[in-house]
Amino acid sequence: MWSFPRPEEPTLSVTREPVDGTCPNCGGHDIAAYPVVSEGGWWDVVKCQTCLTSLRRTRGPRLGSYRPLGAPREA
Amino acid sequence: MIGVDVGGTFTDVVASRNGRIEVTKVPTDVVVPQRAVLEGARRLGVQDMPVFNHASTHGLNAVITRRLPKIGFLTTEGHRDMLDAGRCIRPRAGLTDASWHRGFSDAARPLIPRYLRRGVRERIMADGTILTPLDEDDARRHLELLGRCGVEGVAICTINSYVNPVHEQRLRELVREVLGEIPVSASSDVSPLAKEYTRASTTVVDVFMHFIYSDYAADLDAGLADLGFTGQLNFADCAATLMSREHALAQPYRIVFAGPAAGTVSCQRYGALAGVPDLICCDVGGTSTDISLVVRGEAFVNDTFELEHDLVINALSTEVSSVGAGGGSIISVSPSGDILVGPASAGADPGPACYGRGGEAPTLTDACLLMGILDPDAFAAGEMPLEVARSEAAFAALDAPVPPERRVNMAYRVAVNNIAEEITNIAIRHGLDTRDFTLMAYGAAGPMVLPATLDLLRAKRVVVPPHPGLFSALGLLSTDLVYTESRSAYVVLDDDAAPRLAAIYADMETRLRERIGAEAEHATIRRSFDGRLVGQSWEMPFVPVLDGPVTEQTVAAMLERFHAEYEERWGQRFDALGVQAATYRVELVVPADKVDYPEPGTTGERDAPVAAEIELRHFAPDGAALPAKVYERATLRQGHRLVGPAIVREPLCTTIVCPGQIAEIGALGEIVIEALASTEEKA
Repeated sequence: MWSFPRPEEPTLSVTREPVDGTCPNCGGHDIAAYPVVSEGGWWDVVKCQTCLTSLRRTRGPRLGSYRPLGAPREA
Repeated sequence: MIGVDVGGTFTDVVASRNGRIEVTKVPTDVVVPQRAVLEGARRLGVQDMPVFNHASTHGLNAVITRRLPKIGFLTTEGHRDMLDAGRCIRPRAGLTDASWHRGFSDAARPLIPRYLRRGVRERIMADGTILTPLDEDDARRHLELLGRCGVEGVAICTINSYVNPVHEQRLRELVREVLGEIPVSASSDVSPLAKEYTRASTTVVDVFMHFIYSDYAADLDAGLADLGFTGQLNFADCAATLMSREHALAQPYRIVFAGPAAGTVSCQRYGALAGVPDLICCDVGGTSTDISLVVRGEAFVNDTFELEHDLVINALSTEVSSVGAGGGSIISVSPSGDILVGPASAGADPGPACYGRGGEAPTLTDACLLMGILDPDAFAAGEMPLEVARSEAAFAALDAPVPPERRVNMAYRVAVNNIAEEITNIAIRHGLDTRDFTLMAYGAAGPMVLPATLDLLRAKRVVVPPHPGLFSALGLLSTDLVYTESRSAYVVLDDDAAPRLAAIYADMETRLRERIGAEAEHATIRRSFDGRLVGQSWEMPFVPVLDGPVTEQTVAAMLERFHAEYEERWGQRFDALGVQAATYRVELVVPADKVDYPEPGTTGERDAPVAAEIELRHFAPDGAALPAKVYERATLRQGHRLVGPAIVREPLCTTIVCPGQIAEIGALGEIVIEALASTEEKA
């Protein structure tokens, strides 16, 4: 049986990985990569954190981070 | 008085001046719609007009096509997706399609994309107490982000703000501080009603309408001033009641869609003048037929208006149903060889084949032309000659097993049956019998189709009112100014309810009177409430409430009225169960001058002057030509009788009196068509 400890954080949040680059909209350099749920489902995006312009959007897993029981484990 | 109904194809302009009605039609400019409005105003003259009443579908079109500015949405943290979740109601098509599903996070076409919807840390409980105080730093952070994203307006809707608006009010101030003087609407101001989704969607639409109607009204004001208009500009709402320009722009979500309801109001006015209280109102336009009902002089009104599937706003709206059958409805052939009419429409451009503007598909208008109902040289007051050869070619080109000589008749019959079927469905849905009703035939195509439904519906009669092609616009000259307030609070109707209800109604009525000022002195007040049996989730709207001070007797009357209405609407009565009031409504009605129909006069004779004699083709099922007399409506007087088959022509409309029918001109100039058999029975 699996057991899960009580979470320490008050809310859940995704990890945002810093990415080098310049925003074409505002010229900012605070760029990060992370998954978002948006129109059309889950997306892996690279977004400017200043003005939320998407520098890159690729379709993510259909159910996001959730993996149904019985789904093949990732290699 | 002048009334303007901005439609998708034509802008209809009507004026009532010195007891006369003047009309004109101007092609609608879809990019700058005020141009057509001002052109119509110029043609009829507005210098001496005290009021200018305006209705359009401009706001609805902007929402449907998503020609909208970028705005942000602030809500309680964790609820940013409420606009996508909607009410989780499946569309009708989804009820029989197991594979239908709402798009994940809906949203192929969101009004506000998800990244502009921000959740702010705060929480108010259902009783109005504060669970989590508003985190102003968090709110500022989101607003600064929205500012960097370039939003031009902000909608605010937090959970339970209808009970306690303090957080929304502070958020509104913060929007001003951080983003400056941009349009901002808070749900507790716009529509302080329970159920957060509808409150949120109403607030979002309100912000959009601020953008759309502020510039539009300013242009209209300036243009009308240039034409010498010094009277009052009024806007019609979704129930076609009027409100002044200032009040419309204070609650612009209410005027998102006006037009079809004006036709219903026009029918009510006719019914009141003619003493006919039960009406089926049927407006056959270019693309569709809009159907509504008037029972005992009152139209069916809904407490919300649905702009598209599950996109609802808290606006009173007249219940109008549509079926895709109009003058421009395209006639096609199904894979099994059946003749179909609509729902696709040729619209005004290219329009029916006979317009000669490039349309190749046959339409209902082409069918009527080939039957001889329409005169090719007199269409649109003679301004648009029709080409019969193109209609013939369009029907001949149909890939149908039906012989060419029968296609026209079948197409006309299918259109008539489609409309009759929808009318029957609507009547049955409301538990009504069409045999008790008078069918009002209007819209440019109504009088050339609807008399043929008389046999199918067994209605008492068909009435073609004066100016049928612009009859909806006349509804704008047939209505009062109505100002409304509504509020939610869950109160069980028991012995202790009176003081709380009295405070709610008193507060709403005071606010209304303050808003309206001196006009309120001449106003009457109508109160109602939405209630439910204790334990139910959805309310029954518009239960009337007595005038005067709210006392224990008032509450007892509310209870009794609720049970009586419940029994009438749902066929069951539950006196033993408690009743909970949820939403309270006040309407302040300021009477306005209304249109009068000039009497046509009488010659004392039964026979009307015949303008011509023609042959109706394709009308009889066996294809035989029928001789028919043609009358000019301008020459008809009260008491004139026309025996079908007959055609009545007027500049913007044509009426058919079918074989086996008889028409008589009424006291208001209306054409009253009845089955010959029924008139013989009366005799």
